Amino acid sequence: MSDHKSRKSNDTKMPKAFGWMAEYADEEDLLVAARKVRDSGYTQTDAFTPFPVHGIDEALGIKPTILPFIVLCAGITGLITALLMQWWTNGVDYKYLISAKPFGITPASIPVAFELTILFSAFTSFFGMIFLNQLPRFSNPVFTNPRFDRVTDDRFFLYVNAADKYYNRESVKELLADTHPDSLDEVLDDSTPSTLPRPIVLGALLLVLAGLIPAMIVLNMRASFSNLPRWHVFFDMDFQPKKKPQQTTTIFADGRSMRPQVKGTVGRGQLTEQDPFYLGYDPSKLSADDASTTVKYVSTNANQDSASQVQASTAVQSMPAQSPPPQGAPAPTPALKLPWVDKLPESIVEASNIEANMKLGKVKFETYCSACHGYGGFGDGLVHKRADSLAQGYWTPPTSMHIERVRKQPVGQIFHTITKGQGKMASYASALNPKERWAIVLYVKALQRSRNADIEDVPVDSRSSLDNELNVEPTK
Amino acid sequence: MNRVNMATVASNYNPREIDNTADVPGRRAQLVTGNQTYSSITNMVCRVAEDPQPLLWYVLFGFSSLIAVMFLSLIGYLILNGVGIWGNMNPVFWAWPIVNFVFWVGIAHAGTLISAILFLFRQNWRTSINRASEAMTIFAVVCAGIYPGIHVGRAWLAFWLLPYPSLNLWMWPQFRSPLLWDVFAVGTYASTSLVFWYMGMIPDIATYRDRSKSPLRRMVYGLLCLGWTGSSRHWLVYEKAYTLLAALAAPLVLSVHTVVSFDFAVSQVAGWHTTIFPPYFVAGAIFSGFAMVVTLLVPSRAIYKLENLITLRHLENMNKIILATGTLVGLAYATEAYIAWYSMNQYEGFTFLNRQFGPYWWAYWTMVSCNVISPQLFWFKKLRTSLFWMVVICVFVNIGMWFERFVITVTSLSRDFLPSSWGYFRPTMYDGLMLFGSFGIFMSLYLLFCRFLPIIAMSEVKGILSIENHAAHAHDDSHGQSH
Repeated sequence: MSDHKSRKSNDTKMPKAFGWMAEYADEEDLLVAARKVRDSGYTQTDAFTPFPVHGIDEALGIKPTILPFIVLCAGITGLITALLMQWWTNGVDYKYLISAKPFGITPASIPVAFELTILFSAFTSFFGMIFLNQLPRFSNPVFTNPRFDRVTDDRFFLYVNAADKYYNRESVKELLADTHPDSLDEVLDDSTPSTLPRPIVLGALLLVLAGLIPAMIVLNMRASFSNLPRWHVFFDMDFQPKKKPQQTTTIFADGRSMRPQVKGTVGRGQLTEQDPFYLGYDPSKLSADDASTTVKYVSTNANQDSASQVQASTAVQSMPAQSPPPQGAPAPTPALKLPWVDKLPESIVEASNIEANMKLGKVKFETYCSACHGYGGFGDGLVHKRADSLAQGYWTPPTSMHIERVRKQPVGQIFHTITKGQGKMASYASALNPKERWAIVLYVKALQRSRNADIEDVPVDSRSSLDNELNVEPTK
Repeated sequence: MNRVNMATVASNYNPREIDNTADVPGRRAQLVTGNQTYSSITNMVCRVAEDPQPLLWYVLFGFSSLIAVMFLSLIGYLILNGVGIWGNMNPVFWAWPIVNFVFWVGIAHAGTLISAILFLFRQNWRTSINRASEAMTIFAVVCAGIYPGIHVGRAWLAFWLLPYPSLNLWMWPQFRSPLLWDVFAVGTYASTSLVFWYMGMIPDIATYRDRSKSPLRRMVYGLLCLGWTGSSRHWLVYEKAYTLLAALAAPLVLSVHTVVSFDFAVSQVAGWHTTIFPPYFVAGAIFSGFAMVVTLLVPSRAIYKLENLITLRHLENMNKIILATGTLVGLAYATEAYIAWYSMNQYEGFTFLNRQFGPYWWAYWTMVSCNVISPQLFWFKKLRTSLFWMVVICVFVNIGMWFERFVITVTSLSRDFLPSSWGYFRPTMYDGLMLFGSFGIFMSLYLLFCRFLPIIAMSEVKGILSIENHAAHAHDDSHGQSH
């Protein structure tokens, strides 16, 4: 600070003096001299020694430092930081459930709290020392004395600063000379230019600019878009030495990475694909005419053995030539002709189960189907009514269960429709298990019959009660 | 300039005459021998960095830097190929990397122990050895830190260990895990030790600065020492800060290996799940750390002719601590085995019999003979004051301490509660090379430290010399009065 002041006020050739500095060869001489200077009333004094001389603080009248209190505050801050951090991160923001142990501050928080207390205190001790000593200070008038180089070796210096309010150049010189120093020099302003050499400034500037380049690249990338694939500095698990479906390989003669089923083995869940209960049709009754359709709908069927697989794959390839693609038409697919099951499975209609299944079917129908098809199955569900009222024009009304076409469908086909979906209707296979689907079929059949019944359908002993009800009508 | 020239130092130097190990009642043994003055101490220490290094330095540095380069290349190979190149395999997933980590962290304990705990106990003999052992601490922590960093598999994501508001994970570390405590303990220890080491060096770097002939050297050392002048006002704050750091580092050094032992002790594995682990690990850490300091200082003092500062008495004191901690470690082994029997827990009992007589019997008995038997030789004064024998014993101690961690980690994991999952760990070539390679890093850093930084805390030794001189004056004075 005083550097600048001196340079401004002092343009003459005489450099500014900062005080007197006396040199001693022994720490005892220094202590004696320091006491003398202190007793003369000077306070802007300092001693420079190669090691901390015992008793110098008392001899110079240096007050104790407040560093321990700063460190104490830092330690408490570290402790509180650690506890709050553990409480908030593991107890509030992201709760970890570990063996039903409590959240927040527990004995398990002690190690980290301890370490952070030490960490904060230790760094504060160091940086507090740096701060209180006003370091780093590279330009210091005491360095102008060439003898001062030995202050870090074996020499002891006593310094009286010109800033002292009692400072008088001559009297301080006299006082110090009385202590028999080895040398006595006036500390003068540094005559060398205070600016850094130009190459160093340029070099530092270049370094700073070069250091900004990576940050600029990153910022630019964050703020802009690119069509290029991302850089994989580390592959993580994005690329693995393995084959995915549909890829080729040189390991097998046929060049496929997907392998056909080994002869004589059964895949997991494969048996259910042979069972009419899960399909709604009987795969064993598939005729040769159905081959193309079968391949499309029942792909695993073709994997039974390699011979039929080759057959099937040729069938798939030749299919477009033989027949128009079935999925070409957006309308419901009347072309789908499979050997449908025409009787409900025995387990559904068993006398002991049928009532429970009917109730199950009702519940599931009302949960999943009624939204569109309506509780009565007339295709007048709430979704339909809403879509109709919006009159958007592209709404395909849900099919009524009671039209001729649906009434004639075998139970297997209804099951298949629930399983695979049709038109806009999605597949319900993931929401309903096969038993529930069959129960819905049972319930739909009952609905259909209830809306298209004649007197023959009513049990004989109940007909009379029906008559009585009808007789209530006044028109009769 | 008025420097003491080399001839003066050389005439002071005659290591054969030095034997300050004798204890005369009523008189403190000299810690600085050879009638030193402040300037002769400065010369002796600065010479290490100022004189051209001996040929041996170049040979050693060439060798160890080659090994270090090999180690770094292996880390690159590991990152490219994954941890599968190591022998870690079911059921031993914590194998050599963790053994090496605990081994190096243990070694790292001596430096701060010497600097902090011996400072608080006013053990003046610490002054000529604390700098080198603090440096050794830093370098050992560097070696230790590498292993967990590369053991996490995706080393480039090792920063996930830290609690930071992550945009990718949206989660925080699990603060109830000892592995996370380890991150904090080792991180705090590494940074605090670094600060402690650097702060201690500031006055000595200022000495290097003031003796520099070349402007570049002067500028670099000048920047490093932050413009230190040796002002008494600065010294006062500095000493206070140093005392505070010592007081903080003393419990820290004890906590670090405690937390490392929690990595094992908090788990459920038989042979790990014991309450004796924290004190047992701390004793072992001091044991191995002191052994490493002795192993390094004996050649260093011979090469750089520092026998007057690092005297036989310093080495003997360290050997005494090795004897004490070695006996503690032996006691811990015995206690563990006793508790395994006394607890009547069949899994504990089995684990200890398995350690002693199972497939890893050779590791267990190597550990016992190196750690328990070899330090007992230090009861003999002839052996603990013989440079040759102390190095031999200390090398054995470190071999034994490596095996201790191997025994704890591998034997417990290889045979746990379920016999069907038992296995036998086999290291690969990379395990061996990466243990060997870490010594390359360690030695390269230590040699660079000797080359460029003050290896002895000159200002502290001068302070001790000042006290000794005044004590001698007082002694002479009392003699004068009585006669």
